[in-house]
Amino acid sequence: MATVTLKGIKKIYPLSDDDKKKGKKGLFKKHEEEIEHEEKVNLQITDQGTVAVQEFNLDIADKEFIVLVGPSGCGKSTTLRMIAGLETISEGELYIDGQLVNNKPPKDRDIAMVFQNYALYPHMSVYDNLAFALKIRKTPKDIIDKKVRDAAEILGITEYLHRKPKALSGGQRQRVAIGRAIVREPQVFLMDEPLSNLDAKLRNQMRAEIIKLRQRIDTTFIYVTHDQTEAMTLGDRIVIMKDGFIQQIGTPYEVFHHPANLFVAGFIGTPQMNFFKTELAEENGQYYVPLFGVKFPMDAAHMEQIKEKGIKPQEITMGIRPEDVSICYEGGVEATVDVCEMMGSSLHIHTTIEDKEIVVIAQSKELPEDKQLGFAHGDKIRLHFDGHVLHLFGLDEKNLF
Amino acid sequence: MLSDRRKNIAIFLLPSLVMLIVTVVVPLLYSFATSFFSLDLKYKGWGEFVGLGNYFSALKDQYFMGSIKTTVIFSVIVVAIEFIVGFAIALLFNTNVKGKNFFFSIVIIPMMITPVAVGLTWRLLLHSTLGVVNWFLSLLGIAGKAWLADNATALATVIFIDVWQQISYMVLVLLAGLVSLPKEPYEAASIDGASKWQSFKFITMPLMAPTFLVAILLRLITAFKTYDLIYVLTKGGPGTSTEVVSYYIYKTAFTHLKTSKAAAMSFILLIILIPVSYIATRILKNRNEG
Repeated sequence: MATVTLKGIKKIYPLSDDDKKKGKKGLFKKHEEEIEHEEKVNLQITDQGTVAVQEFNLDIADKEFIVLVGPSGCGKSTTLRMIAGLETISEGELYIDGQLVNNKPPKDRDIAMVFQNYALYPHMSVYDNLAFALKIRKTPKDIIDKKVRDAAEILGITEYLHRKPKALSGGQRQRVAIGRAIVREPQVFLMDEPLSNLDAKLRNQMRAEIIKLRQRIDTTFIYVTHDQTEAMTLGDRIVIMKDGFIQQIGTPYEVFHHPANLFVAGFIGTPQMNFFKTELAEENGQYYVPLFGVKFPMDAAHMEQIKEKGIKPQEITMGIRPEDVSICYEGGVEATVDVCEMMGSSLHIHTTIEDKEIVVIAQSKELPEDKQLGFAHGDKIRLHFDGHVLHLFGLDEKNLF
Repeated sequence: MLSDRRKNIAIFLLPSLVMLIVTVVVPLLYSFATSFFSLDLKYKGWGEFVGLGNYFSALKDQYFMGSIKTTVIFSVIVVAIEFIVGFAIALLFNTNVKGKNFFFSIVIIPMMITPVAVGLTWRLLLHSTLGVVNWFLSLLGIAGKAWLADNATALATVIFIDVWQQISYMVLVLLAGLVSLPKEPYEAASIDGASKWQSFKFITMPLMAPTFLVAILLRLITAFKTYDLIYVLTKGGPGTSTEVVSYYIYKTAFTHLKTSKAAAMSFILLIILIPVSYIATRILKNRNEG
């Protein structure tokens, strides 16, 4: 139980001698090769090195569950490793429970960490893996035994205590890794993508167990993931990162319903939010968004904010979540169905309007009976965008409201 | 009928198989057969069939038993020193010391020189009157020695030279083991509160144990068969102080011309080494499966 405060944290990976010879250009190339992922890495490379994290400010309350989320290479793991003490902090201050710990080694920070690849001690039995930290601290044997058995009980691994890690499945290994952290009763619990090596079913199951675990061992959690579902379901607050910068800090509700910028809007939510380049226009004091020849008026709440903030008509990117698009029978815009995915209770309808793709989620039971099983390719439907569900982003990609 | 694939495999394997049979299997069987006769190069023919007679006479030969004792002493000391010093060097190379690559190349050089060249070089360096070693010692006011010709120092000197040459093998094998250790347990241990020394004791040592055993056993086997270095440096002398078993077998066969007895001795040596290599391969196999 402790607060964690990060003030202006920055991480620069210094250039190695080889990199200096290659120059910045060569280094950038190397980075793209090294980090295997779909997104383009846009890390800043300065004379001192590659900047992995910067301007990271965050106050984590006692017993809060914070999730750092973002695409690969965004600096979330680096941030966590700096909190753990596995990476040095280039600039800024890190406080755990009010104490500056920048220069303290990991063992003096009273933290526990669960690694993505489990990082179990391969030559020790499960029991010894759990007991290791306590043995190092010269805890009396009977207390070690009790704590190990309690943790094993919580995680349901009692029957594997005598086994070696290699005789366990991925899910069981991850439980051992979590157990190793539990026995420590640390001030802060760090988790670095703990579920990403598990298959989908096990991942869902373990996610639920982490929620239960959290209720049981009420302490501060910092959890890193690239999976937005994990972020939304686990976090009290979510920190969304990209290219080493924080994009938004907020509760799952806030980041979903009020994304700070285009990146957050696109990152959170599946299927992704639909985006259209258009403008915010005004006619007789009423603001509206023209799209495909139809004027979608702003609702009263938005209008109030427009007046309050003095927002002018301007070019914008309009975003609307698939579940917020409504299917109507008059008015709206006509769209052509490309593909319709039956998801059970809902339908994911991929449509096009004037060559622009729009994904729509429709609740199956709200559709006319003959359409409840889905639309056929080429079917025409009419879509309506309600003013109150529109997200408007300026040219600087920031949310206007 | 063989399938085409199997036929191809057979055709491609044939040349090397023939080579192996001609150069390894036939001589091995031939010498095995020889060991049961009284073949003597001084006389014509295979001599009489004597059964296990050569084996018994070898075991009764005090020089043979003495050479085994010398070999054991030589091998154990050589491997012990090489292991301890080699592991220390490997640990150093496993950190980020400056000039690592440069020193690494230097450590590897002795391994690339043939033992005969090493022996000749050191014989010159250690020459009692013309050698550089004694000249250096004289500068320090220490009286030089006939290092290789003195009963008291010959074996120690041979051991030193062998260590000088073979330590790179240990460094290489142990360093390879250290480099391939997983990094994650060390991070986990540092978070669990382990100090550097505790990480070494509780993680590095147990994880390296199989590598240790394999390196030691393989090196023991080669040390047990040391021949060329002894041949060039001392020819087993002075007296029998550096007479290792391989050299004694050579002497029996080609100086005393007692081919059959030498063959029997070779097979006794083989019987000693089989369990060692068996254990080593078992460990290697376990490790690859684990």
